[in-house]
Amino acid sequence: MKKHISKLPSIIFLIISLVFLYLLIIERNPSEIPSALLNKNIPSFVTESLLKNEKFSSKNEFGKEVVIVNFFATWCKPCRDEHIYFNRLLNEKKIKIIGVNYKDDSLKTTKWLKSLGNPYSNVAIDKKGKIAIDWGVYGIPETFVVNSKGVIKYRHVGPINEKIYKEISLILNKIK
Amino acid sequence: MLAFLGLLTLLLSLFFTIFQFFSSRKNNLKLISISVKGLLISSLLSFFILIYLHIISDFSVINVFQNSHTTKPLFYKVSGVWGNHEGSMLLWMLVLTIFNYFIFKLYNKNNFLFISKSLEVQSLITMGFLIFTIFTSNPFKTIIPAPSDGLGFNPILQDPALAIHPPLLYIGYVGFSAAFSMSIAALTLGVDKKINWHTYMKPFVLTAWTFLTIGIALGSLWAYYELGWGGWWFWDPVENASFMPWLLGTALLHSLIIVEKRKSLQEWVLLLAILSFLLSVVGTFLVRSGILTSVHTFALDPSRGIYILAFTALLGGYSLILFGIKSKAYSSNTYFSFFSKEGAILINNVLMFVVCSVVFLGTIYPLLIEVFTNNKISVGEPYFNSTVIPILLPAILVMGVGPILSWGKESKLKTIKKLFPSICLTVIMTIIVFSIHGSYSPMGIIGITLAFWIISNNLVILYKRKFLYSMGMIVAHLGVGLLILGITGSSVWQIEKISKMKISDEIKISNYKIKFDKIDEIKGPNYLALRGNFTIYDRKKNIISRLNPENRYYPITNNFTSEASIHTNLFRDLYIVLGEGDLKKGWVVKIYYNPLVMWIWLGALTIFIGGIISININLKKIK
Repeated sequence: MKKHISKLPSIIFLIISLVFLYLLIIERNPSEIPSALLNKNIPSFVTESLLKNEKFSSKNEFGKEVVIVNFFATWCKPCRDEHIYFNRLLNEKKIKIIGVNYKDDSLKTTKWLKSLGNPYSNVAIDKKGKIAIDWGVYGIPETFVVNSKGVIKYRHVGPINEKIYKEISLILNKIK
Repeated sequence: MLAFLGLLTLLLSLFFTIFQFFSSRKNNLKLISISVKGLLISSLLSFFILIYLHIISDFSVINVFQNSHTTKPLFYKVSGVWGNHEGSMLLWMLVLTIFNYFIFKLYNKNNFLFISKSLEVQSLITMGFLIFTIFTSNPFKTIIPAPSDGLGFNPILQDPALAIHPPLLYIGYVGFSAAFSMSIAALTLGVDKKINWHTYMKPFVLTAWTFLTIGIALGSLWAYYELGWGGWWFWDPVENASFMPWLLGTALLHSLIIVEKRKSLQEWVLLLAILSFLLSVVGTFLVRSGILTSVHTFALDPSRGIYILAFTALLGGYSLILFGIKSKAYSSNTYFSFFSKEGAILINNVLMFVVCSVVFLGTIYPLLIEVFTNNKISVGEPYFNSTVIPILLPAILVMGVGPILSWGKESKLKTIKKLFPSICLTVIMTIIVFSIHGSYSPMGIIGITLAFWIISNNLVILYKRKFLYSMGMIVAHLGVGLLILGITGSSVWQIEKISKMKISDEIKISNYKIKFDKIDEIKGPNYLALRGNFTIYDRKKNIISRLNPENRYYPITNNFTSEASIHTNLFRDLYIVLGEGDLKKGWVVKIYYNPLVMWIWLGALTIFIGGIISININLKKIK
């Protein structure tokens, strides 16, 4: 009995080491949070539109084609950094992109889009951050891919970079 | 040029380490002496070269470029050296070689083989960390052309408490390496050599434990006033990584006393010594490999993770398998009486070990779940509070009794008689406090009673007799009593108020009225800030203090930080944090009323002083 107990620490240690090794080898991002809304219908909303003189209604915008939704704000620096990728997505993939302007000043946003280019076909105004709460947004920038049935297929927290761009391209090819 | 010299000193250290390994295998005292001293000098050199590079802002060195800036105050230029991954590895190395030197200093006629073996193991550990530093985290890498200025240093880390937090913590972590090496040496050599390994191990364990305590306390103090969350402990994975070796270190320290007096529990102590250091290394692994996220996480690099894991696995595999094979020689079957000093220590030992396992499980549970189910969960405060506290309560109860009991068996009646004065004292003190305070809650009463239980037991010992030997213990235990007082007060009676305040608004918290006078824009040495002006009145409308929380913006690193403003006295802290807002709508203001927080810091300091006293006493015993 006693003989086995003295070997127990090394066995437990071995198991824990293997778990750590596995976690290191698989490509994973520890700060990634899976969305509870994945594979579910988008939360619907009606709000003001920044670009058009009519109400922005999610019923009109989703459910016909694949849509990328991007939560952004002019006061958020990473949003500025990732902006070029949305211009690229529009040019290279010809995809519909909808912006949700989070807790921002509309005038500033219009100017911002003028200087950086506007990849968005429509921009919903989320002055109080209510839409972001419904969508379970963790922090902006945040990007969702919604398929033609209005179901969320992908979510990314944080700015888009080259790697994420490729990931989104793959997903677009899959669900298109 | 200087950076190249820095790299050379690192390689020189590696040479001396290898040299030490072979000369200690051969038991050649002269060669050992050369290698130990050479290692110490070369690691000192590389450390000071890096400090110098930071002071003169040599941005051709990537490490300086990434972590410093010309506008940074000199003090933080120096502390910035160990505020990043590569530099902190150099500090870790330096502490390791200093301990290496102190082990070498223990040489005498009787322990020759034992110390040589310890130095051999120590050189292997040093080698592992050195190779890691040189090949994956070289702080002396350069860039051409040199950038004109650095990227700056995370402003949240520009803080005096945080500047000395890592060195103290490393003394703690690395100090356990000496215990580890000695444990391996004792296991390899076996019992027949008749070495008093525990007398050599004890000062190192004491040093490690004492500095780990104050290091953790300083980190906690920093989190308290810098993060602006109103609390001082968040069960963050990295906090846990330092708490676990501390728990095992506590158990180790106390069991060493049993080994010393009773010659039993040797097997258990050898295991604890191995585990304490392994947990320190696993903590480093968790922080630096990026498999867990936390406020402490350094820049991520998977190759580093793989290396540290391989190293930890080697270290752990070797030591634990060795333990599995060789520990039988040290096993003994002794039975302890429940009412004896060793009985009390043993109970505490088991409880500390259980707490450590519980914290370990909570820390890696999210990882296990992810591996086996692919779900992501996080384990937080509710888990730790509801598991750790109930186990710690009996431990504290026993801790009060332990020092009063004698070695060997004692009758129950006699024990109770001995405890009678402190029981009375505890009851009296508790009644006084609650008759003044007048707020009752079960946790509050339990916590305060336990704190006074520890304090009065130690006061009784202090009053009854003056034996110098356990002076350090009495002081340290008193510190724990004070610490529990602070922990209980600040967690049970904390009041939190979050509200939107406009200029000249008033808010009431406990017996105080706080008025928001105005807001100023100010300019600091390397930041801009909004500063709120608050006046605090007591019930009779006397001004108690003015508090100025700030919202700082650091343009170089593009960071925002909030500086809490705190008014402290022995009974409570008033803690104000300024949030977002503007003149029209007002600002979000968080106000905390934190009772007895001061006692947490005073308690930790008292424990530290007690530890220092004990270290001195134990060093005298060796000589």
